[in-house]
Amino acid sequence: MKIDPILLSVYARTFKSITDEMSISMEQTTRSPILCEAKDYVTGLYDGEGNMLEQTENLPILAFSLAPVCKYIKDYFGDDLHPGDVIFHNDVFSLGNQNNDVAVYKPIFLGGKLVAWTAVKGHQADIGGNVRGGYNPNAVEVWQEALRIPPVKVVEKGKLRKDVWNLIFANIRLDIVQHDMKAEMGACTVGERRLLELLDKYGLESYEAHKQALFEATRKMMEAEIAKIPNGRYSGEGYVYYDGRHVGSKFTIRVDIEVKDKSIKFDYSRTDAQTNGFVNGTFTSSASATILTLLQMVNPDIPHNEGMVQPIEIVIPEGTILNAAYPKATTFGNHLCPPNADAIQRALAPVMPDRVTAGWNNLLCSLTTGTDPENNEQYVDIGFMGLKGGSGAMQGMDGYDHIGMIDASGGVLDQDYEMFEQQTPHTLVKHELLPDSAGAGEWRGGLGVETIFEIGSDDTQLVTFGDGDFEPAFGLFGGGEGGLNFIRLNYPDGQTVVPKNKDLITGVPKGTVYHQVASGGGGYGNPKKRDRKLLCEEVRNGVVSKEAAMHDYGMTEAELAQ
Amino acid sequence: MALKIGIDVGGTFTDFVVTRDGAEPAIFKSLSTPSDPSIAVVNGLTDIAAAQNPPLTLEAFAPTIDTIVHGTTVTTNATLTHTGAKSALLTTEGVRDALEMRRGIREEQYNNRYANVTPLVPRFLRAGIKGRLDRAGREVTPLDLDEVREAIALFKQEKVAAVSICFMNSFANPAHEQAAAELVKREMPDAYLSVSTDLLPSIRFYERISTTALNSYVGPKLNHYLDQLVGRLKGIGFKGLLLIMQSNGGVITPQLAREKAALTLLSGPAGGPGAGLFYVRPHGQDKCIITDMGGTSFEASVAVGSPMIKNDGEIARHKIALPMLDIHTIGAGGGSIGWLDEGGLLRMGPQSAGADPGPACYGKGGTLPTTTDANVVLGYLAPDYFAGGRMKLDLAAARRAIETHIARPMGLTVEEAAAGMYRVACNNMAQGVREVTIKRGFDPREFPYIPAGGAGPIHSCLICEELEIPFQIVPRESSVLCAFGMLMSELKHDFVRTFVSRLDAIDWPRLTAMIDEMSAEGARQLTEERIPESRRRHDIKFDCRYIKQYHEVSFLVPRKAVAGGDIGAIARAFHDEHNRLYGYSLEQENAPIEIINVRVQSIGQTDKPAYREEAWSGTDAATALKGRRSVYLPETKAFREVPIYDGHKLRFGNRVEGPSMIEEETTAVFVSSNFDGVIDSLGSFVLYRKGREELVKSGLCKEATPA
Repeated sequence: MKIDPILLSVYARTFKSITDEMSISMEQTTRSPILCEAKDYVTGLYDGEGNMLEQTENLPILAFSLAPVCKYIKDYFGDDLHPGDVIFHNDVFSLGNQNNDVAVYKPIFLGGKLVAWTAVKGHQADIGGNVRGGYNPNAVEVWQEALRIPPVKVVEKGKLRKDVWNLIFANIRLDIVQHDMKAEMGACTVGERRLLELLDKYGLESYEAHKQALFEATRKMMEAEIAKIPNGRYSGEGYVYYDGRHVGSKFTIRVDIEVKDKSIKFDYSRTDAQTNGFVNGTFTSSASATILTLLQMVNPDIPHNEGMVQPIEIVIPEGTILNAAYPKATTFGNHLCPPNADAIQRALAPVMPDRVTAGWNNLLCSLTTGTDPENNEQYVDIGFMGLKGGSGAMQGMDGYDHIGMIDASGGVLDQDYEMFEQQTPHTLVKHELLPDSAGAGEWRGGLGVETIFEIGSDDTQLVTFGDGDFEPAFGLFGGGEGGLNFIRLNYPDGQTVVPKNKDLITGVPKGTVYHQVASGGGGYGNPKKRDRKLLCEEVRNGVVSKEAAMHDYGMTEAELAQ
Repeated sequence: MALKIGIDVGGTFTDFVVTRDGAEPAIFKSLSTPSDPSIAVVNGLTDIAAAQNPPLTLEAFAPTIDTIVHGTTVTTNATLTHTGAKSALLTTEGVRDALEMRRGIREEQYNNRYANVTPLVPRFLRAGIKGRLDRAGREVTPLDLDEVREAIALFKQEKVAAVSICFMNSFANPAHEQAAAELVKREMPDAYLSVSTDLLPSIRFYERISTTALNSYVGPKLNHYLDQLVGRLKGIGFKGLLLIMQSNGGVITPQLAREKAALTLLSGPAGGPGAGLFYVRPHGQDKCIITDMGGTSFEASVAVGSPMIKNDGEIARHKIALPMLDIHTIGAGGGSIGWLDEGGLLRMGPQSAGADPGPACYGKGGTLPTTTDANVVLGYLAPDYFAGGRMKLDLAAARRAIETHIARPMGLTVEEAAAGMYRVACNNMAQGVREVTIKRGFDPREFPYIPAGGAGPIHSCLICEELEIPFQIVPRESSVLCAFGMLMSELKHDFVRTFVSRLDAIDWPRLTAMIDEMSAEGARQLTEERIPESRRRHDIKFDCRYIKQYHEVSFLVPRKAVAGGDIGAIARAFHDEHNRLYGYSLEQENAPIEIINVRVQSIGQTDKPAYREEAWSGTDAATALKGRRSVYLPETKAFREVPIYDGHKLRFGNRVEGPSMIEEETTAVFVSSNFDGVIDSLGSFVLYRKGREELVKSGLCKEATPA
């Protein structure tokens, strides 16, 4: 069939608007703040073979597991797929990325032929296992973390399988997870309707031909970007501190990147072995980290479809920290993205200095739960506002202040301060940019934040997970390092407790002051070359101290006085 | 014979609509004067005076004007170009960066070169003051007035023109803000002052602080402009009522606009949606989709009984939580530039050639191909009849631009390339319409489609095709729809208070007192605006959600339900709205509901221009036929000669068959092969899908004309 180049644009734009619409449906109907406030979900559209047609990637670390799982599900059910089927999946040992990220897949048929899939994957508030919410720093096996859901039909030919549904939700603590999974199913239906309208208008033959052409066009865009990188083999490292069980443990991610003309290969074969804790990646969480890091170095307008990933090859041997073997625990895997990204930026910095960034602040997160003494209601709060540090600077561009970890890149938002005080018994004391937290440089890193609040409930439970308290964000080409993360608890009796970066603290009393720093990103280039006028403004605005201006940037008293 | 003039200041033209009771509205345009927009206003009024029969001098004409309703982009532009006032902020100690951090969002996740916006107030002018209220408004730490004084000293030294005040939890208790405001008023009597709880006493700190800072940022500029405008109007002898269009689709007096300048951030396009409803009513309809295609942008909105409102708008990436019309803007207009991406796919916009140099066919030095250039090549725009022939279009330049940048690289003919540009532009606009319909829970097929803007009706058939909309109405005033809509607008005042309570545990005396207080404030303002009691209305809205949800749904609550404490009726209204928006409700599950905010909108009815209905002139449109021209027909992908009608000569009842073109001085209408048209009693060009005549309720025959 002849390709209509204009219709091709129409298809591309319509696919995007379909996944956007699915995303809005999720945002508006879900209950867990992880979904509706932090937007920790991805919506996608795939062809009959499971190839990506388009995705809306609110949190990209989930994104690049959807197409591989779609292909897996298609093979798994073979010819036992029917109109009206709805399939759940979260299993990390069949290409899932994280146990809590539960996906819904809906096959779409036209004239009896499987022509496409819609899918939604979101981070659910609970997924069974030993610890409420899923983060179990003591886990060594998957069963201590979560309920495994290999591909399973919860709706078959349009009929809800009540027995299957009840089996799943009998193993999950919170009722809102049922509502939120229904929201995922609803979003899949929204996408299905729109795609069928499109097929009705242009016909199957046109759709099949044009999607291939779209993959081709996109692949060429990606290849053109890769061709800008000189051929060669480039290596870099990133570091992981503490596996949740062995104090002082440290692990190394090693990537060897091979660029050959229009293709790029990321080989992690030299990476350290898996841990005996929950600090392990799955193949798809690690591959997502690789892809999202690369995507930040290329033209941001490239459509997100199968063609985009075709020129990229990723090798991660099983049994490494980035691809744990069955039945290892892996819940922390998504958060191995920052060190993975570090390794890639370090490797490519010498050959594409205008595209890489200095190190981003690594995630350190906390979750508090307890009972509000004023209304006796239980609350769960993920400290989004506290965890968002600064991004790394790049050539010609300062880092972005208070953006958060690289795998969300500004997609996860702070709680509103007043809503935070309505929904928890805590009182916010401070949430401000932290002066001097960013690495100095001709272009400085993004600033981090300091968060202080007073805990308002007795017997409060606190879970921490993250990193960035041992190694700061690195600088590039003479740029300085960012600061270190920390979380500290100052109890009313004067005692100070510093939780480990993966920890579970119980019995925290009312009146305890919670103090956290998510620090800044790394700087880029020689700080002495930084624009003096800009620096004077920054000193005046108090984001760079006078001392740092003189010590790190070499400003003189005379320059400062101006 | 009330004489009313609607004036809409745009980027290129200032539009005027002049109405007199019983007479057909007259349209005027004058070139905008961005350095002082009031000059264009006076220029236009001079033209209007001269066009009177007999011609009048401006000084003789101005005193006869009863009302001027004015939409302004002064505040919009100040925000978009970051040229607002030097302003300062007093806020609570520990949270002074909320305004700059914007909750930590970066809108383009994969784009590391996407910078944050410059904050409305620089950090050194954001003072964190000791003093704290808890979540219920109880004082935990008293306000430190010495710190306020210190901050004021700095602001004075820095010659700050405007001050904002926004403290934590002030929505529950404004005392600290009021105390600080007193000091500022005393020490800085000339500064423009915005107090968050005066503007928006509702919960959500970031939204409130951003809205307050925006108000201060644009306040001095708007005041300066209103000084100029009021001065000039007074100078020419205007003695009538001047009203300013606000973002919520209502109008206010200049005095209120001065105090709450942020209310005008969407003043320009806010007239459109209300005007749309006027044109659909003869067809027994009370809802419509209104789109406005300008040079750079395409705006889409929906009205159902009244224009749709949102409470969480944004301008130049700053949040504004004052109620404003839900108008979705995309970068698609006549000036949108066509280009090929790295994969060779054709894209249109969002970059625009604007008015200068403009499209290649303008002959003002533009060489890049735009939507307008494609329209010329496709025959939709006649090179000799653009702006009624006052501006000649250069067809060869249009062809050259398309040939060079699109046709040759894609291996297409110029015509094929132009057709592609037209189609992609239409597809982009159709996606924009989806944003305000499907994504808000409306099925676009059930709405009459109203295309405004001079080039809007060239694209509307294809957009309607894409969205399966069978019915369009092109008003005679479509090229100045916003100015016309301003004359249709009511006085509107919005009030909000946060009232957190479960629906089944309402403290009724407190709630009623709150509603009465807001209604009284509205009544006070309407009294000042000389609106008699018989023409006032106070609508009540609640923002509610199911417990544990994070987003509220705002819905109208009957006064009767509040007076009677009828929880059941309120709950039902909420379930219904939730169901409409999101496709489900939890009515069966009996899920508990909580209130977050209570709102009152006080409305004062203004005098509307009485619109003359035309006399039935029969179906035959032959007298309006002015020739034939070859235009591109998307259905067959080929050019064909079609009849061209002079729109000015088409009258009530006249019928035209698609494919054809209707031309007026400021508008061109392309009737595609799938549509037919008829002129209705208001003189609008009504296009309906072939075979769907039943949709037309005015114009098909004399008997069908509504009373």
